[in-house]
Amino acid sequence: MDIAASILAEAIRSGTPLLLATLGEIYCERSGVLNLGLEGVMTIGALAGFVATLATGSVWIGVFSAMIAGGLFSLIHAFTSISLGANQTVSGLALTMLGTGVSSLIGGKYVGQPLPERLQIFQIPVLSEIPLAGGFFVHDPIVYFSIVLSIMMWFILFKTRIGIIIRTIGEKPEAADAAGVNVHLVRYLCVLSGGFLGGLGGAYVTLFYTPFWKEGIIRGRGWIALSLTIFSLWNPLGSIIGAYLFGGVEVLQFYLQEYRVPASLLRTLPYFTTILVLTTGSIGFMRKRLGAPAALGKPYRRES
Amino acid sequence: MSIPKISGIMVLLIAIFFAVGVAIGYVAGGWGKVPGYEYGMPVKKLKAGFIYVGPVEDFGWTAAHDQARKHVEKLFPWLETVYVESVEEAEAARYIERLVREEGADIVFTTSYGFMDPTIDVAQRYPDKLFFHCSGFKRRPNSGTYFVDFYQVYYLNGLMAGALTKTGKVGYVAAHPIPEVIRHINAFALGVKEANPEAKVYVRWLHEWYAPELAREAAQALVSIGVDTLAFTEDSTAIVEFAQQQYEQGKQLYVFSHYSPMQNVGPDVVVSGQLVHWEVIYADILMKVALNVYNNTNLENVDYLWMLKEGAVELGGKPGVPVNPKFIDELKNKYLPGKSISAYDAVMNRLALMKEANVPFDPFTGPIMDQNGNIKIQAGQRATIEQLFTEQMNWFVDNIIGSPSG
Repeated sequence: MDIAASILAEAIRSGTPLLLATLGEIYCERSGVLNLGLEGVMTIGALAGFVATLATGSVWIGVFSAMIAGGLFSLIHAFTSISLGANQTVSGLALTMLGTGVSSLIGGKYVGQPLPERLQIFQIPVLSEIPLAGGFFVHDPIVYFSIVLSIMMWFILFKTRIGIIIRTIGEKPEAADAAGVNVHLVRYLCVLSGGFLGGLGGAYVTLFYTPFWKEGIIRGRGWIALSLTIFSLWNPLGSIIGAYLFGGVEVLQFYLQEYRVPASLLRTLPYFTTILVLTTGSIGFMRKRLGAPAALGKPYRRES
Repeated sequence: MSIPKISGIMVLLIAIFFAVGVAIGYVAGGWGKVPGYEYGMPVKKLKAGFIYVGPVEDFGWTAAHDQARKHVEKLFPWLETVYVESVEEAEAARYIERLVREEGADIVFTTSYGFMDPTIDVAQRYPDKLFFHCSGFKRRPNSGTYFVDFYQVYYLNGLMAGALTKTGKVGYVAAHPIPEVIRHINAFALGVKEANPEAKVYVRWLHEWYAPELAREAAQALVSIGVDTLAFTEDSTAIVEFAQQQYEQGKQLYVFSHYSPMQNVGPDVVVSGQLVHWEVIYADILMKVALNVYNNTNLENVDYLWMLKEGAVELGGKPGVPVNPKFIDELKNKYLPGKSISAYDAVMNRLALMKEANVPFDPFTGPIMDQNGNIKIQAGQRATIEQLFTEQMNWFVDNIIGSPSG
């Protein structure tokens, strides 16, 4: 593999947890629920996946456990913000604090333990030798799965009836309600799948990307995914580009050090961009412009 | 007539004193078991506190200190220890003070370069307590310093790295740009240069001590530019695991493990490495404190710098195994350029020299040039302690590619 291909390969690996979490958040926000607890959900998934793999010796059981844990954990947010109609910002932030706090508490004794099993990389012959583009074909199954998933999720969101229902609920929940759709149920399902994918994204970090657990291993990836949701204009296909771009910035620091570009400067870039995107995305008129779901963040109660 | 009466009272008094003494002795700790007497001298109980920069399970720096702590606690029945892990440098003073004030520690060991100023601050405020700071250079009457140094071992690792690399590109993943790490990179590069004058050492900074994910990314980036031999200063096994994974996919990398025995994690890739024996130093310090050789008035000049000679460091990725047997033949078949000695024999030879009492060999012997072509150490001279261990160590040897300032 040439250098360009291996930078691309690294960017993809580094971007995959971001991609998974962003895909989940897109569905969540498209249905009108803002989940600021993503960082916590990912951390819970990262730990659950790691612990389950240690206990059972199977990475796949780890992956499955991470998704379940992420899903169940985000149900807390679903309950407070959908059923109770509480402030979604507060509930989401609480979820992040809870998730990262609980994980550090439980995770202490797993620091530094090696995983019993590791998934092999599927290097696709011939294709992986192509300059640059070869970087797409040297990955573990989750990377390939996440790309297929993005396309599927784009198709469902924009080309099927289910997608229309989700988008309508995010724009005008009362219209969907009038058409006989159970708004709360759909929102619950969207938050739940956001939790599944957030958990999977977290587990990708501790099971595939760096097979280690340590406190704070998610390192703001949840927040980056939140900004990627806006950056991709709530479109699953856009999130592929965004995730690999952000992943690339993270990886590039070690290539640019040779040219005396300070690592500390490069390392702030993803977070700097995140702040920029989140700020832009939260200014009222910009939101409309960017195509934010109109009912995003607003609890739905039927007028009686 | 009165004499027997007096002696009667005396006998009574002696009997009473004896009885009271026996009772006290019995209550206070059992017959014949005077606490702390096992090592042939009566000592008071001692409580030692340890401040760690990382988690105790980090497989590297902190784990090594913690194993030494457990070792001395077992060795000395009169010793009790407490520790705080994952302490941020900015919060160090608070934790050091807490160990002294709330935990009642008599002596505190602070085990990170960044804890230097906080240690001195607290030592100033608690002049009757003892402090030992690891890896720094500031001392007080009640605060000493101690360190083991690996530069000799890094040099030997470098010799092997230079002999083994096929691509002529050797990578070094480094934590923070501080004199200690720069010295080790330089020693390693001097070894590489001696075995392979054409080879270059590529340095990548992490700016963290424990960052498995960054270490792996850095190693991957180095391998992408053609590096096939890796050394590192980072407290996890991430790079060894990465190299072992590459081996399983058919790519042989050569790795030098750091600090803890990592050969078992990468049996096919770990050539050698550095191992530490902090317990040797901790045992010495604590023994001398217990015997009152060290007290709160005489630590101003107590500065341990122990290396191969004292047995505080060891060459290898596994205790008792200086070089992984898998690579011995390869090293025996490779001769140092212009010399009739194999890389393997050179390593063993110099290892033996550096273990001798007067240390007849030192890697930092001139002429040594920096990246800009300036002579840093004159021909035939050895680097001084100041040159090696203070802020003067801020330059890179001329076969290194990268910036010594991070």
